[in-house]
Amino acid sequence: MMRAQGLTKTFNPGTPIENRALRGLDLDIPTGQFVTVIGSNGAGKSTFLNAISGDLAVDQGSIHIDDKDVTRLNAWQRAGLVARVFQDPMAGTCEGLSIEENLSLAWQRGERRGLRRAVTPALREAFRAKLSTLKLGLENRLSDRMGLLSGGQRQAVSLLMASLKPSRILLLDEHTAALDPRTAAFVLELTDQIVADGKLTTLMVTHSMRQALDHGDRTVMLHQGRVVLDVSGEERARLDVPHLLAMFEKTRGETLDDDALLLG
Amino acid sequence: MSFISLMGALEIGLIFALVALGVLISFRILNFPDLTADGSFPLGGAVAATLIAGGYDPWFATALAMVAGAGAGFVTGWLNVRLNILQLLASILVMIALYSINLRIMGAPNVPLIGEPTVFSPFLPGEGDAGYWIQPLVLAVIVIVAKLALDAYFASQSGLAMRATGANPRMARSQGISTDRAVLTGMAISNALIALGGALYVQTQGGSDISMGIGTIVVGLAAVIIGETLIPSRSLWIATLAAVLGAILYRLLIALALTADFIGLQAQDLNLITAVLVGFALVLPTIKAKLRKTLGGRNP
Ligand SMILES: Nc1ncnc2c1ncn2[C@@H]1O[C@H](COP(=O)(O)OP(=O)(O)O)[C@@H](O)[C@H]1O
Ligand SMILES: [Mg+2]
Repeated sequence: MMRAQGLTKTFNPGTPIENRALRGLDLDIPTGQFVTVIGSNGAGKSTFLNAISGDLAVDQGSIHIDDKDVTRLNAWQRAGLVARVFQDPMAGTCEGLSIEENLSLAWQRGERRGLRRAVTPALREAFRAKLSTLKLGLENRLSDRMGLLSGGQRQAVSLLMASLKPSRILLLDEHTAALDPRTAAFVLELTDQIVADGKLTTLMVTHSMRQALDHGDRTVMLHQGRVVLDVSGEERARLDVPHLLAMFEKTRGETLDDDALLLG
Repeated sequence: MSFISLMGALEIGLIFALVALGVLISFRILNFPDLTADGSFPLGGAVAATLIAGGYDPWFATALAMVAGAGAGFVTGWLNVRLNILQLLASILVMIALYSINLRIMGAPNVPLIGEPTVFSPFLPGEGDAGYWIQPLVLAVIVIVAKLALDAYFASQSGLAMRATGANPRMARSQGISTDRAVLTGMAISNALIALGGALYVQTQGGSDISMGIGTIVVGLAAVIIGETLIPSRSLWIATLAAVLGAILYRLLIALALTADFIGLQAQDLNLITAVLVGFALVLPTIKAKLRKTLGGRNP
C-alpha cells in the first residue's frame, strides 16, 4: 500500500525559473495493484517517483508506505520498501562492477552490509538460476562487467535486481523508453511477469498510451503536478487509445482554462 | 646505482605504496579528489615521531598515527557530505589546518629519532651495516598485508557498497547504501594508510619534519597513474597491485635519474621529474593505441 497526500514540490522557488513540479498530488495505491502513469513531458511524473523513492524531499504533503510514514526518510533509508528501475539503463547499475557484483548489491537492498564476502559460491549459483530466466545467456557471463551489456540487457538485469528482494512498491520510470521497439517489448513482457510472480505493488510511468492501457490494473494521468484522470476496472477496459487521447486533450484544455481563469 | 641507494629507493617506494593505496581509495574508488594526503602524511609522521621520542612503543605510536590519519580523512569527508563543501576545497582546508596541528603535535619544526627504537629495531642486527635489506623486507610485509586486507575488504559487502558509492551514488542509495557513511569510512581508511606511510617514513629517515608532506599527493597520484598505465585492469586486486608496483617503480626511476651523473639532475629537480613522468604516463595509453593501430592494422 502506498499513499501520497497533497504532495507539492517547487524547484528553484522565488527565482525566475521557479517551477511548480508537484501541486498537491494525491494518490492511493492498494497492495498488489499495478498502476500505469501517463502525462505529457514535464507533468511531474519523474518528480513524483523521485518523491516516493526519497531521491527528492517534498515541500508539503506526506507519503506512507504500508502505514509507515516515510516522508522524512532518505532514499537509502526507504530502499528496503522501494525497488526501482530508472529510465537510463546506465543509471540503475554500476558499469564498472561485474554482473554478479551488481546483483549482490541488489540482493542486500535495504539490509546491513558487513564484512562477509559479497559474492559467495552459493549466491553465484542463485544468480545463475535467476539470470537464466531472462534467456539472454547472461548466466554464463556473471563476472563480465556490466558496461559490456547492451541497454536492453542492462534494463533486464535492472528489473531482475529490483525483484531480488521483496519490496512494498516497485517504481518504473519509462524504463523501456531508451530501448529499441523489440527490446522494449521484451523488457515490458518481463516486467509483467516479474510483477505477476511477486504480486508487486507497482507504479509504471510510460510514454505510450497503448502500454498504459495494455498493462496493469489502473491508469492515472498526471498534468501540471496533479492527478487529472484515474481509471480502472470496467471503465478502463472499455477505454481505447483514441478515447484516452481525447480525455487527455480535454483535461489539458480544461487545466489551461483554469489557469487562464486564475491568471485572468 | 649502488646496492645501498637501490635499497633506499625500494624502501621509500614501499612507503609510498601505502600512500598510493590510500590515493587509489579516494581518487579511484570513491571518486573523491582528496588532497588531505599532504597533511595526513606528515600528521602520521608527527604523531609517530613525537610518541616514540616520548618513550612510547613504536608499534603503539604507529597505530595511533593511523588513527590520527583516519580522523583527518573523516573530517575532510564530513566537510563534504555534511556541510556540502566541494571535495577538493574540503581537503585543502584540512590540509592547511593540519600544518598548524602537526606543528602543535611536534612542538617544533622537526623531531629527530636518532638512536630511538623503531618498528624495525627488533629485526635489525645489533651492529654493523648488514641490515640494509631488512627495512625494505619489513616494509614489504606491511605493504603486502595492507594490500591483501584492502582486497578482502573490497570483496566484502561493505567494500562493495563503497565501490558502488563511488561509481554510481544514486544507484547505491536506491539499494539502501548510506553513501555518506561509505564516503566517511573510505576517507578514513584512505588517510589512515597515508598516515601509516608517514609514520614509517619518519622511522626510516631518522625523524619527522614539518615540510615532509609537500608533494605527497602528487607522488601518490603518480604511482597510481603509472601503475594503471602499465597494468590496466578493471579487477580491484590488480588495481591495488598496480598502485604498489607503480609507487616502487616511480621511486626507482627517480633514484636512477638522480644517480645517472651524465644527465646532470639534482635532488631539487625531483618535482620536475615527477611532472614529466606523470605526463608521460598520462599520454602512454594514447601512444599505445596509436601503435596498436599502425602495427596491428585494425581498429579496436
Ligand atoms: N532537479 C530539477 N531542478 C529543476 N527543475 C526540475 C528538476 N527536475 C524536474 N524539474 C522540472 O519539473 C518539471 C517536472 O519534471 P519531471 O517530473 O521530470 O516531468 P516528467 O513528467 O516529464 O517526468 C519539469 O518542468 C522539469 O523541468
Ligand atoms: Mg520523466
